[in-house]
Amino acid sequence: MNPLIFTTILMTVLLGTMIVMTSSHWLMIWIGFEMNLLAIIPILMKKYNPRTMEASTKYFLTQATASMLLMMAIIINLMHSGQWTITKVFNPTASIIMTSALAMKLGLTPFHFWVPEVTQGISLTSGLILLTWQKLAPMSILYQISPSINLNILLTMAVLSILVGGWGGLNQTQLRKIMAYSSIAHMGWMTAVLVYNPTLTMLNMLIYIMMTLTMFMLFIHSSSTTTLSLSHTWNKTPLTTTLILITLLSMGGLPPLSGFMPKWMIIQELTKNSSIILPTLMAIMALLNLYFYMRLTYSTSLTMFPSTNNMKMKWQFETKRITLLPPLIVMSSLLLPLTPMLSILD
Amino acid sequence: MLKIIIPTIMLMPLTWLSKKNMIWINTTTYSLLISLISLSLLNQPSNNSLNFSLMFFSDPLSAPLLVLTTWLLPLMLMASQHHLSKEPLIRKKLYITMLTMLQTFLIMTFTATELISFYILFEATLVPTLIIITRWGNQTERLNAGLYFLFYTLMGSLPLLVALISIQNLTGSLNFLLIQYWNQALPDSWSNIFLWLACMMAFMVKMPLYGLHLWLPKAHVEAPIAGSMVLAAILLKLGGYGMLRITTMLNPQTSFMAYPFLMLSLWGMIMTSSICLRQTDLKSLIAYSSVSHMALVIVAVLIQTPWSYMGATALMIAHGLTSSMLFCLANSNYERTHSRTMILARGLQTLLPLMAAWWLLASLTNLALPPSINLIGELFVVMSSFSWSNITIILMGANITITALYSLYMLITTQRGKYTHHINNIKPSFTRENALMALHMTPLLLLSLNPKIILGFTY
Repeated sequence: MNPLIFTTILMTVLLGTMIVMTSSHWLMIWIGFEMNLLAIIPILMKKYNPRTMEASTKYFLTQATASMLLMMAIIINLMHSGQWTITKVFNPTASIIMTSALAMKLGLTPFHFWVPEVTQGISLTSGLILLTWQKLAPMSILYQISPSINLNILLTMAVLSILVGGWGGLNQTQLRKIMAYSSIAHMGWMTAVLVYNPTLTMLNMLIYIMMTLTMFMLFIHSSSTTTLSLSHTWNKTPLTTTLILITLLSMGGLPPLSGFMPKWMIIQELTKNSSIILPTLMAIMALLNLYFYMRLTYSTSLTMFPSTNNMKMKWQFETKRITLLPPLIVMSSLLLPLTPMLSILD
Repeated sequence: MLKIIIPTIMLMPLTWLSKKNMIWINTTTYSLLISLISLSLLNQPSNNSLNFSLMFFSDPLSAPLLVLTTWLLPLMLMASQHHLSKEPLIRKKLYITMLTMLQTFLIMTFTATELISFYILFEATLVPTLIIITRWGNQTERLNAGLYFLFYTLMGSLPLLVALISIQNLTGSLNFLLIQYWNQALPDSWSNIFLWLACMMAFMVKMPLYGLHLWLPKAHVEAPIAGSMVLAAILLKLGGYGMLRITTMLNPQTSFMAYPFLMLSLWGMIMTSSICLRQTDLKSLIAYSSVSHMALVIVAVLIQTPWSYMGATALMIAHGLTSSMLFCLANSNYERTHSRTMILARGLQTLLPLMAAWWLLASLTNLALPPSINLIGELFVVMSSFSWSNITIILMGANITITALYSLYMLITTQRGKYTHHINNIKPSFTRENALMALHMTPLLLLSLNPKIILGFTY
């Protein structure tokens, strides 16, 4: 793609999300979502083949539906409150419709079906933008309307997302689908604590984005999209196998890595609010996630042999330059001792 | 406490910056020096704990376990030299780094005051152990073993996290030093029963309790020698240590909640000892023997009398040294015949008489011969369980008999009788191996002269 056009489109995506995050008028927020959606379609279709077209169409349809539902909720809110400012939503019906619309945009169960298919159909870099940047806008709206969200619906969606994200990823060998199911599960964790303490949602989002960025960067570096090709990285750069191990264990939420911090804080917040069975269930379902991460680490870093492998290896034309990989890796694995610093967020 | 933790962390740069012919020498020497530092903690003048800071403390329960941990690192390094000799230098350094990381986490776990910090470090010990088992084990079953190990422990410990946080909400602080003093009885309710279960299950899985012990034979058998040593000697004791710490907060539910686990442990110790009599795999025999000994510790901790606590602590230290020594002996067999089957390497006394002497001493301490500290531990546990209920003497007596049976079975099969003719060209014992056995045996024998230091905080 022509670099100038690509820059313009990318800037439109950024601008769309910025408009969503910084507006106080509901219509501007809707406009921001639409800008974001329209501009990201060319980015999703960077390579022009039927698979990408299918993925982009699915993405467009689900997101457009969600935007329309959002518009309907905005209008109902306008009818009942007479104003367009973003505060809490004044009508329970509007609140439910808006929560569903934003859940569709985020990929929460039961609206999660598009995430694996869309992520699989697009290139790794586009998948990176899809799973990290695109989550920021809906999450910011959820943050702003959090006082008026129906707790039952949100918690049901959250717990079902953690379950689906864990269970669905068990039968996958394609890395992009694994990252998609991981995203569904993490979104579930984030929305579970939204009503109790939205700051922790933001913390979880931050650490999730760092870990997902790291994972995708490592995948792009070894240009691998399947478990099989990821298992060849010990041939090219043995150090990345160790880094993949550390990052995957961090995503699974194992102490002492930083992926444990959001889970710990969320469990603490939920327990303080006298729900004990819920965080226990969530934590145990996160073990399903850990299982398929462990499977990835087994094939990648924990079973290398000092022997030549007789499988086809991909030819690498050039060494891909990855920006910011060392700081990302450090931040996605070593942040746990900094947990007392979270008190500055209050 | 930093005087132990910082040198242990510094062992990692020491490994990476050492020259090729000095890595084993440097790390073994410095870890021996660190273990000398930890010996000073054994001098506890009063029954109170030695508080080093708000975050670390050591009391008569954690000091012997800490000394055992730091003593074991040089032994692990000495034991690993042979099977790593053919690996490239970076992989050797990685292995030593994993062992050092594990050691750091273990030291911090045994001395943590805040229970959530204890939990985080308890979980953190899983990661290096998993990497050691899966990456450096020798058979394909090691993958399954790593998964079983990780997931059994995590399933047990996630409810523990929730329980600890809810206790913190109730009582305001989880600092162990404070909890000792403002202990109140837990009110009687269904949710407190689940709280009791949530707190204890993590340690039950780690010990392991008889019904949840499936991970242990897999993990012990598939791990390389240093992994087996640290698993048997220290990681099982983490469960016992945690149980001893957390039962102080869990009264009065323990009086009735403990019954199912007592039954499982009492029956389980006989079952696992009996399985040992039918094992063909030498490491598997030692692994099941570990389950049996740890079942005694569970019984002792759940009875909650002063003598049983003394027995539990003594038994933990004694079993740590004995079990680790048995694994080293089994490994010396494995390195020569590359098989763990017992009957493949028989009659070793004729070929390696000095090693037979170490086999004899190890088997005698395993069956708790007087005056070793194994006997002191087992005797205290038997006495306290008899006072708890007279009938348990039948089971305990049966267990001691069967333990003697399988220990002697192991000794006689490997050492006595006519040697098999395919092992007549094995290498003689290395000085390193003899030194390893001596370093295991000497503390064990010396402690029988003054067992007071390992009898814990109820002495």
